Amino acid sequence: MPAIEVTSLSKTFRTKRKAAGLGASLRSLVRPEFRTIEAVRGLSFEMEPGELLGFIGPNGAGKSTTIKILTGILFPSGGEAKVLGYVPWKQRRQLAYHIGTVFGQRPQLWYHLPAIDTLTLFGKIYELDDRQTKRRIAELAEAFEIEDLLETPVRKLSLGQRMRCEVAASLLHKPKLLLLDEPSIGLDVVAKQHIRDAIRTMAAQENVGVLLTSHDAGDLEALCKRVIIINHGQIVYQDKVSALKRSFLTSKLVEVRYAQQVGADFRIAGTETLKVAKERYGVKLRFDARITPVGKVMAALSAAGTLVDITISDPPLEEVIAAIYQKAENRE
Amino acid sequence: MIRELKFLLSLWKTNLAAAMEYRATFITQSLGMILNDGVYFLVWVIFFDRFKDVRGWELADMFIVFGIAASAFGLVGMLFGNAFNLSEIITGGRLDYYLSLPRPTLLHALASRVVPSGFGDFLYGFISYAASGQFTWDGLARFVLAVLLAAAVFTAFLIIVQSLTFWMGTGGTFTMLAINAMLTFALYPITLFNQAARVVLFLVVPAAFMGAVPAGFVKAFSWSTLGLMTLAAAGFLAAAILLFHLGLRRYESGSAIQTEV
Repeated sequence: MPAIEVTSLSKTFRTKRKAAGLGASLRSLVRPEFRTIEAVRGLSFEMEPGELLGFIGPNGAGKSTTIKILTGILFPSGGEAKVLGYVPWKQRRQLAYHIGTVFGQRPQLWYHLPAIDTLTLFGKIYELDDRQTKRRIAELAEAFEIEDLLETPVRKLSLGQRMRCEVAASLLHKPKLLLLDEPSIGLDVVAKQHIRDAIRTMAAQENVGVLLTSHDAGDLEALCKRVIIINHGQIVYQDKVSALKRSFLTSKLVEVRYAQQVGADFRIAGTETLKVAKERYGVKLRFDARITPVGKVMAALSAAGTLVDITISDPPLEEVIAAIYQKAENRE
Repeated sequence: MIRELKFLLSLWKTNLAAAMEYRATFITQSLGMILNDGVYFLVWVIFFDRFKDVRGWELADMFIVFGIAASAFGLVGMLFGNAFNLSEIITGGRLDYYLSLPRPTLLHALASRVVPSGFGDFLYGFISYAASGQFTWDGLARFVLAVLLAAAVFTAFLIIVQSLTFWMGTGGTFTMLAINAMLTFALYPITLFNQAARVVLFLVVPAAFMGAVPAGFVKAFSWSTLGLMTLAAAGFLAAAILLFHLGLRRYESGSAIQTEV
């Protein structure tokens, strides 16, 4: 049985429309105008138990709405969904015992209390006995390296420290599925890395499935095996992360540094020169590896002078995803 | 039932711990409220000193009515502090937190906050009853029961009014109006109102169940009054729970940043 099964899921919101100014406010009081926003439009997908699935999309794409329907927070306008065999909006409480949720913008930890107090309360909420709760807190504290933070009021923790405590809290009751909505929002690079490592380790150790929404491609690269990209409430792409890279990361970037100066009009056949450095020792090029083999480019670069340094890289995943969004927009 | 009670106890303990993080604020607010209630009541003392009675309603009655209303108001703040800002919780999308945990949403939301001044109100109510000159021990037992039932009606009324937020989109001002109406009408001598107005006080703004009816019960036991109060509490609570859950289907969440304090 799949962990998540979604068929033709849709959600529309009705919002009031009002032009600027007091006059319009008064008019809208007498005769309000509404418009319908389709946040999710006929979404269908499946997720296997223990899978690490990324849900990527720009702001307003429908990622959070989908996660909120899957946790039973929102009622859908149409379609069907089953999470661990439960219909979330009908069996919300039964489902809640088996899933963990983290909303990056909605801390679950009590702000004025140390995290240990919220964790203990969560133990009661999930009906664990006190010994079980204590043992589990110790396990999680070690995995997330939060032993020293547990007794500090949450308001005094840094955002990164707090998020580690948040994710730890969501795992207290050993859920089978973790739904993470923008877990790395607002974190710096080091804190992001820290939290990704901890999630990856725990998911592997306890065979927890992870559905993660983010608009940060780094989360996807670090954590997920498969990706669903949504925009305007619809799926625009779904495949393995490796396949996404293979089919879209066709161009390579090369940065070379020579022992002697090169000409300002430096050219290598089959490549595009992006930049020649001002002092004319360094050059940046791009080429399509399917048309011009890497070996051929290397040989030509080597023949052009004495190489001091060379780096070949893929363009960042952000660019790839932006290209996919663009393609989807153009189709519409 | 026992499971939910155990959960509520843990939640209240956590609430109290959170309130105690700012011990000085907690104590000042509680004591401040006792003083505040005392000064407010002074107006009635001066009033009855001048007029002695209003259609049979005397200062002693005012002490009891005020005592019940203050204790019931305080009790709601102590145990279900979020009953006063359910509307904001709905519009701010803060129900997400309660909906993602395996507990009854409404109960969990209401009991997740303690209003420190509630302790002051609660205590003042007992002082007011003791000062009424009609104190007896069995009267005290009736007072406690009356406060519990009045608090239930008040909580239900707050839920009903604020559940309308699901349909109206906002409800802050409306909530303030409703709270003020309930308290004002509960504290006015019921003998002032005619039959039509009394229907409103029993059914629309059920202030009679937070003032005159329980006060009568404290003064003299009567099965019919107890039955009426219990029926009102059960009826209003059932309506409140039903309305809240109907509204929940229309809940739109939101993306405002929130914290659980």
